[in-house]
Amino acid sequence: MRRFELLLPQSVDECVRTLAQQGPETKLLAGGTDLLPQLKNGLLKPARVIDLSGVAQLRAIESANGQGLRIGSAVTARTLELDRTVQGRYLSLAESGALVGSVQVRNLATLGGNLCNAAPSADMAPPLLALDAEAIIVGPKGERRVPVATFFTGVRKTVLAPDELLVELALPATGPNSGGNYLRHTPRRELDIAVVGVASQLTLANGVCAKARIALAAVAPVPLRATGAERALEGQRVTPELIARAADLALEVARPISDQRGSADFRRHLVRVLTRRTLTTALARASA
Amino acid sequence: MSSVMKTTRDVKGIGLSIVRPDAPDKVTGVVQYVADLSPRGLLHAKLLRSPYAHARILKIDVSKARALPGVRAVLTAADIPELKKKAPTRAHAVLAIDRVVFAGQPVAAVAADEPAIAEEALDLIDVQYEVLAVSADPLEAMKPGAPPVADAGTEADTSEAQAHGSVAGVATEAKPAKAVNISQQARLQRGDVAKALAESDVVIEKTYRVPMVHQGYLEPHAVLAQWDTAGNLTLWSSTQGSFNTRSEVADVLEISENRIKVIPMECGGGFGGKIRALCEPITAILARVTARPVRYVMTRREELEAGMPAPQVIIRLKTGVKRDGTLMAIEGEAILESGAFSGAVLAVSGVFLASLYRWPNFDVKGFEVLTHKPSIAAYRAPVAPQTIFAIDSHMEQIARAIGADPVEFRLRHLQREGDKMANGQPWLNNGAVEVLTRIAEHPLWMKRAEWKASSKGGKLRGTGLSLGGWLGGLQPTGATVRLNPDGTLQVLTGQVDIAGTNIALAQIAATAYGVDIDKVKITTGDTDVAPMTGLSAGSKTTYTVGVAVMQAAQNARNQTLEIAAKELEASVHDLEIDGGKVVVRGVPNKGITLAQIGKKGNLYMSKVEPVLGISHPAFSVQAPAFCAQLAKIEIDPDTGELTLHDFVVVQDVGKAINPLAIEGQMQGGAVQSLGMALTEALMYDDKARLTNPSLLDYRKLTSADVPKIETIIVEKPAPHGPFGARGVGEPPIVPAPAAIANAVEDATGVRLTELPLSPERIALAIANGK
Repeated sequence: MRRFELLLPQSVDECVRTLAQQGPETKLLAGGTDLLPQLKNGLLKPARVIDLSGVAQLRAIESANGQGLRIGSAVTARTLELDRTVQGRYLSLAESGALVGSVQVRNLATLGGNLCNAAPSADMAPPLLALDAEAIIVGPKGERRVPVATFFTGVRKTVLAPDELLVELALPATGPNSGGNYLRHTPRRELDIAVVGVASQLTLANGVCAKARIALAAVAPVPLRATGAERALEGQRVTPELIARAADLALEVARPISDQRGSADFRRHLVRVLTRRTLTTALARASA
Repeated sequence: MSSVMKTTRDVKGIGLSIVRPDAPDKVTGVVQYVADLSPRGLLHAKLLRSPYAHARILKIDVSKARALPGVRAVLTAADIPELKKKAPTRAHAVLAIDRVVFAGQPVAAVAADEPAIAEEALDLIDVQYEVLAVSADPLEAMKPGAPPVADAGTEADTSEAQAHGSVAGVATEAKPAKAVNISQQARLQRGDVAKALAESDVVIEKTYRVPMVHQGYLEPHAVLAQWDTAGNLTLWSSTQGSFNTRSEVADVLEISENRIKVIPMECGGGFGGKIRALCEPITAILARVTARPVRYVMTRREELEAGMPAPQVIIRLKTGVKRDGTLMAIEGEAILESGAFSGAVLAVSGVFLASLYRWPNFDVKGFEVLTHKPSIAAYRAPVAPQTIFAIDSHMEQIARAIGADPVEFRLRHLQREGDKMANGQPWLNNGAVEVLTRIAEHPLWMKRAEWKASSKGGKLRGTGLSLGGWLGGLQPTGATVRLNPDGTLQVLTGQVDIAGTNIALAQIAATAYGVDIDKVKITTGDTDVAPMTGLSAGSKTTYTVGVAVMQAAQNARNQTLEIAAKELEASVHDLEIDGGKVVVRGVPNKGITLAQIGKKGNLYMSKVEPVLGISHPAFSVQAPAFCAQLAKIEIDPDTGELTLHDFVVVQDVGKAINPLAIEGQMQGGAVQSLGMALTEALMYDDKARLTNPSLLDYRKLTSADVPKIETIIVEKPAPHGPFGARGVGEPPIVPAPAAIANAVEDATGVRLTELPLSPERIALAIANGK
């Protein structure tokens, strides 16, 4: 690891001011589970690192107006995995938190870090897409809100400007007849990266699918929604046949590559399998 | 050479399960490894490594790096007079001279006050390369006209084969003139294979592939080097054999061996990867140039990119049998991809393929092929797991094809003691039949049909087993046993304890001398003080060093009894050692304590010689050791995910000296083997660059992937082992890949022939109906 200057702001404002003063060659450190391996292997050589551990606001989980939920960007995967509210209303997000790394990694890894690292395989992205979450970003000009669906712009790229900080994720209310599920495939049970990840969220009204969301990870440069499959489900009674058709349609948006984690063929195969399985589970949970 | 010790004495040391006394210090971080050493004035070394697998070095500019404050030395090949082209081994290729032959090959070396400064210096070194065409695939590399790896005229390196001493008598053939990358070639032949295949009822031909895999020791390669002003070098090294390290470093540095002291540190795992010198020479040179102690610790990324992994092995087999199960012929080729430097052991593969079973006709060829990848080294039973994956998978398929019981079919054709191996030597006493018979009696094997029939919820269940083993290594070795003035024993060897062998040696010394084990201390000496001791490798530490310790203890016992006989005015034959005393049999109150004898050997003006038992044996008889393993699995056919429900290891250990440590070896070997079977592979792109250089994507199994591993010890005494013991380290890594592949076929009907048996391979094979 090369030498760098370490900065320790104590508030969001101070962090944003620091970012504005320091300019490029500055990296933000939350849990460090993505950043530190990159520093150690010389893949990143920043001149400065801003440690966010002193900014308490980033670690809060708050119910907004008794409806939706606001989750601080430095909330850990382990907290998401175990938080009762997240488990109750946003189960797919809790499930994704529970799959990251190992327990030791989850005690450090953060929601914001997972998103800002912007790996195509980020586990927490598909549930947020499926839950219509928004990213709350603070910069020198104040706050702005961006749907998580448009937060990612490429492999390891996001809409964040160099002087901006991802502060919170805002999740809208899900309603009583809504259910979700996140599944991913990895060759190893723990300490692995998704070959494909799929989150599904179904909301039912009068036995019919009122709203469907399907989001895919690791099949394109950015996490993305399978909107064609969603449209096929909405307004319909959800049957195993319809789920199978939706799983086929989900493939239309997938543009997977072959790499050390899996071939494009296997990824396409998995999109079908995992879309079918997450929709089946989401339906059962929405109907319960 | 010794035979099994026959004794009427109490043998309570042998067979006791003893917890490793060093475990608490290791778990709590008290033990010092090389990376923990920081003598005054310590400098940190870093190596600049080539990003290309094959390139010409046009120019290296180190001026900016040398100017960085805190940098004490920056070296390239031009600064090292000992360097020569046509390096005979990887150790001799300290830094690339004018051509790099694998991605990750060191090109320049830095020593600096801090690791971060050394890394920043690497960033400041400017190397201009001319990128050359690569040989990235062994099958392509074998063809005439492939980009050459070694410099013309470089000799094959067969020292690994000698170090393991496992198979002799395999004739090597001259290599074809145009195939520049074939560095070794061998052939084993008997009978008329073509005729026998033509007369066969069932002919099966398959090609099996096992990728390069890494040994995966916890502690990376590490060394600390320091010179004194008289020109003597001390190396603190994480090594499996300090005398071997000394010889290799002396050869590279062109200095005499007695000017080098190798201090073997605690070794955080080796598995064959820490036999050959790797980073010792460059660290020693940096220490010489700077006249400071220099430490080099490889990173995990460097280990994966530029360590010394196991070769990729590609084995094609074609077999013919009669419908009644009569074996007719086997024909095959084993291609071992050795990376950029020669060093593979060809003979093991050939002998197992041609003569583990009774093939009346065989023709098996072996090729060592060089490619532009890091050169290979031994990995726990080198090439045996890969070979057994091929031959045992094949035997299982033959049994299925003719409707034979897979265990009965193997037992019927298994070579027995005295049968000739393919190299003409006889099979020695071994427990192959016993372990296979024992595992076939296991309830999980007996109930395999019920397990398969119980498949539900879309999952598929199956059971598989396999038999494999290791021929056993030999190497001369030495030990001394001293009687201390307080009556305790001091055992000195040069063996590095990488597997809990120190306890076994203490048990052997205690039993052979006649004291309790808590009276014995084992010391691993450095190369200045220890008797010459062989490598901790080849499943031969207990088998050979154990004999030396046993004989040295017997020698010390005899000296002790002779002294006692004089003191007690009794015949040696009437004496025995009991409860820390030498007593006259039948006369309980006539005796002398071991402490009294020990004191007399260390008393001013005493005429009693101090007790010093010595043994330095050489060996000629190996002890093959076999292991059978069983896997009970469940597969999700949609995702290809394989769940291991149960895994059983049955192993012939000859005599279990410390059963607890042996069970640990059996389980540890199984876990490594399961990783090779299920998840591990060093993956290279078409430019021969590693695409998974971290433990995230080079997937060792975790405890979440592995079930409880049941261990069953079988004891068929080895005629020449200490107390009948045979080697236990290597056999348990051998059978698992074939056992898993056999279980996968049982569950799914799909036969997979390429490792790892990843979910992707399983799912796509099922989806494609293979």
